Amino acid sequence: MSNNNKKWFSLNLGTSKKESTGSCGCGKSSGSCGSHTNAIGEERKKDGFDQVFDVKMDRRTAFRQLTASLMIGAGAVSTSCSVISDDKSKEKAQIDWEEQFKGNYKLMTDDEKKATVDRLVRSYQLRKGKNITMSSKNAEENVLFGYAFNISKCQGYMDCVSACVEENNQDRNSQMQYIRIHEMEDGKGFKFDEADDNYYHEVPAEGHFYMGTQCFHCDNPPCVDVCPVQATWREDDGLVVIDYDWCVGCRYCMAACPYDGRRFNWSTPEVPENEINNNQHYLGNRMRKKGVMEKCTFCVQRSRAGKNPACVEACPTGARIFGNLLDPNSTIRWVLENKKVFRLKEDLGTEPKFWYFMD
Amino acid sequence: MRRLKVFTSLVKDSLDTTTQGSKKYHIWMAFLTFVMLIGMYCYSIQLEFGLSVTGMTDRVSWGLYISNFTFLVGVAAAAVMLVMPTYVLKDIDFKQAVLIGEGLAVAALIMCLAFVVADMGGPSVLWHMIPGIGVFNFPNSMLTWDVIVLNGYLFLNISIPFYILFRRYQGKTPDPKIYVPGAILSVFWAVAIHLVTAFLYQGLQARPFWNNALLGPRFLASAFAAGPALIILVLAVIRTFTTFKIEDKTIKKIGMIVTVAAQINLIMLVSELFKEFYAPTHHSESAYYLFFGLHGKTALLPWIWTAIPLNVLATILLTFGKLRNNLKVLYFCCFILFIAIWIEKGFGLIVPGFIPGPYGKIAEYTPTGIEIGVTLGIWALGAFIFTILAKTAIKIETGKLQFKNK
Amino acid sequence: MTKKNYIYILGCTFIVTLFSCKHGEGEYHSINDKIEAESKNYQGTSISSESLLEDIHTIKITEGEHTFLIPERKSQITSYACTECHTKPLHELQSNDTLKKAHWDIKLAHANLNTMNCITCHNGENMDNLKSLTGNKIDFNRSHKLCSQCHNKQFEDWKGGAHGKKVAGWAPPRASMTCVNCHNPHKPGFETKWPAQYNTQKLKERE
Repeated sequence: MSNNNKKWFSLNLGTSKKESTGSCGCGKSSGSCGSHTNAIGEERKKDGFDQVFDVKMDRRTAFRQLTASLMIGAGAVSTSCSVISDDKSKEKAQIDWEEQFKGNYKLMTDDEKKATVDRLVRSYQLRKGKNITMSSKNAEENVLFGYAFNISKCQGYMDCVSACVEENNQDRNSQMQYIRIHEMEDGKGFKFDEADDNYYHEVPAEGHFYMGTQCFHCDNPPCVDVCPVQATWREDDGLVVIDYDWCVGCRYCMAACPYDGRRFNWSTPEVPENEINNNQHYLGNRMRKKGVMEKCTFCVQRSRAGKNPACVEACPTGARIFGNLLDPNSTIRWVLENKKVFRLKEDLGTEPKFWYFMD
Repeated sequence: MRRLKVFTSLVKDSLDTTTQGSKKYHIWMAFLTFVMLIGMYCYSIQLEFGLSVTGMTDRVSWGLYISNFTFLVGVAAAAVMLVMPTYVLKDIDFKQAVLIGEGLAVAALIMCLAFVVADMGGPSVLWHMIPGIGVFNFPNSMLTWDVIVLNGYLFLNISIPFYILFRRYQGKTPDPKIYVPGAILSVFWAVAIHLVTAFLYQGLQARPFWNNALLGPRFLASAFAAGPALIILVLAVIRTFTTFKIEDKTIKKIGMIVTVAAQINLIMLVSELFKEFYAPTHHSESAYYLFFGLHGKTALLPWIWTAIPLNVLATILLTFGKLRNNLKVLYFCCFILFIAIWIEKGFGLIVPGFIPGPYGKIAEYTPTGIEIGVTLGIWALGAFIFTILAKTAIKIETGKLQFKNK
Repeated sequence: MTKKNYIYILGCTFIVTLFSCKHGEGEYHSINDKIEAESKNYQGTSISSESLLEDIHTIKITEGEHTFLIPERKSQITSYACTECHTKPLHELQSNDTLKKAHWDIKLAHANLNTMNCITCHNGENMDNLKSLTGNKIDFNRSHKLCSQCHNKQFEDWKGGAHGKKVAGWAPPRASMTCVNCHNPHKPGFETKWPAQYNTQKLKERE
């Protein structure tokens, strides 16, 4: 995979990619199992030193990954005992150790939250030499976030999708996108199965309308119920969030979501270093690792600071409206009270906080 | 102190037993080890590059691993079909088979757990799921129920045979007062593991293909067909390769169980098909995809159209007593039934649940070589564990292996 | 087993079943009930978008029952006041051929020429102001009053907040973009363009 490309940032903490597995570039090609056994065979043909060295590396990496936590622990011990290693690597090992065995963010006190955020910022600084700001701001009282989408205004420009990808540091390799814009034909109603969510032609196309979907931040979220480790939950301000470090990657929540709102990091997410958004939130757009879930958080790093989510700000047509449902004077409340609003799959009882309306 | 001594001696003796055997046995074990190594290699690749090396995507997020997991829970549950008559109804015809059945359950459960771990995105943080140390979302998440019942069942199925064998090893008769309550408990527990696993899927309003009340009962019926079918095949193998005596009567009685379960399973299948195709709604699309393909996407057709005829054929053949009592026909039927249910309950159940997706988008799923490698490795692991367990158990049961107080 | 044991087991099962109900926070029947109940005693929040609006010059307007901020306009016009060039009324300037032509690049694509021309909105007598259909003065800062003469449905939605964008954040005070912040008054329609994204990975997945 393109980890060798130095341009990309990858959050594969500590484990450097070795070249030898390059021979089995086994992305998604089928039948590659056989090719791997061949690869072993080839290695065996090599002479003495190479052979031993290669095999050793193979085993070591495999072992390291199998017992990742133990190894990090051992690393911490060995570096902190060793005289040769410098303070920085000691600190790194210390941070890795503490990060590996920290608790669930949902259950942390404010001090613990701050501590883990500080560790992550420091860790990034040590590894990349760059500073990021990361917030651990909690839900504010008297706030319940809601969202409204004007179907008659959306023109399908997909500016929201771009803005979302950039704001939330989504994996560029797999082109992960939280938002999907469905192009529907006029006069056919909401035919999602016939709609195209990956169109590429001049928009708005004649005789079509556009409808965006993303995580609806249900008030009764099925994804939260099914998570075996409470790595995802609904915050008091209505946001459904994920602790990326607590997620075990079982993808049960993905199966439970009726709205296609969740995404999985099938491999290590990669974002070009100069495109990383440094304004981060622990529950929001901080860098993820492979094997964890992620999703739209209504840009928690922005919304809890009073700003609109990136999609709302980027929309050139004003089709997206965001606000506080508890504030009787908010514009979202006016929309809910004065426009003819509806939600998707209301009969499932999930109570999404994402309404659609028309002019 | 004495118990410890007996125990160490048992461990030593069983190690001796498992490392010695005929040439065929060694070849068999070497073969399994080789497959397991391939599986481990594939898994190491998966660990390094993430689950992107599998065929799964955001659209179809569970695949071969979870399919096999679901099926194997059923196999594990099926051990109860032997435990109940022996321990509870006191039908001695089953006695010989019961330890084999429980060994099979242990192997199947270990495979289940292995498949779940293989499917995890972050196996290094699995400790988050350990109650007390991590956070266990009980009772909200059905997955936590599943963790509890699977591990509990594993414990039951290890401890009961272990107790019996431990007594036998010392030349004593096991005390029914100790193991019968356990056996009764495991009967209920077996139903629970499979029902809970069905609820795992059944409880998702997002997936109409799974969200139907018949799923749980159908899981049970198909499990009680496929599990004992596998036990019959295993017994047949044991009969030919070891001195362990298993009477025809035992096998035929298990055959009877398979038949009834397969018939019930077929009735439920008909009921499901009727509901999906007589009055098709928007929610029947997954079934359409499974059986006929949707919008030209037909990846599952060869699978399901292998499974259904095999299933029907096996059930019909088994229904006739004359055919069923012919052991060769019985073995054949068990084999095809096992394959049919593996497809139906694995691939045929998990994958269409995701197709079409929540918004009707169709993305197909084909497992990659690596995924298949890991899967084969785990099956080999199961076979390996079962062989070891069975070999020791048989030797103790036949009285060849006994504690000698030196 | 005795009868007592059975009763005991049954009791245990019952208790387990009781506790295994989903512990949803099901205080309210629906989200609407929740919003209604919890916003009854709404006290305001500590989050404010004032800091986001610091650099933006806004003015407060009251339309109907809505009071909110809109961006100030006059200071954004490159050469305001217009009367610095338009020293005389329009018809007098037009007749004078020696003066350079201005605004020649503006092509009106707003309704048709039967309905609208430049002086439907611009005040030929005093270019510093706009004018209503009935000839009343309308300030450049309050241009929405001009638009609302015809687009009254959009105006209603805009007042309430269903039409248009916010200037900065969602939090109070409310600051909405005004009509001309998004629509060019001479060419108010949105143009077709290519989508900002094309997902090749999604395409592969669907194959």
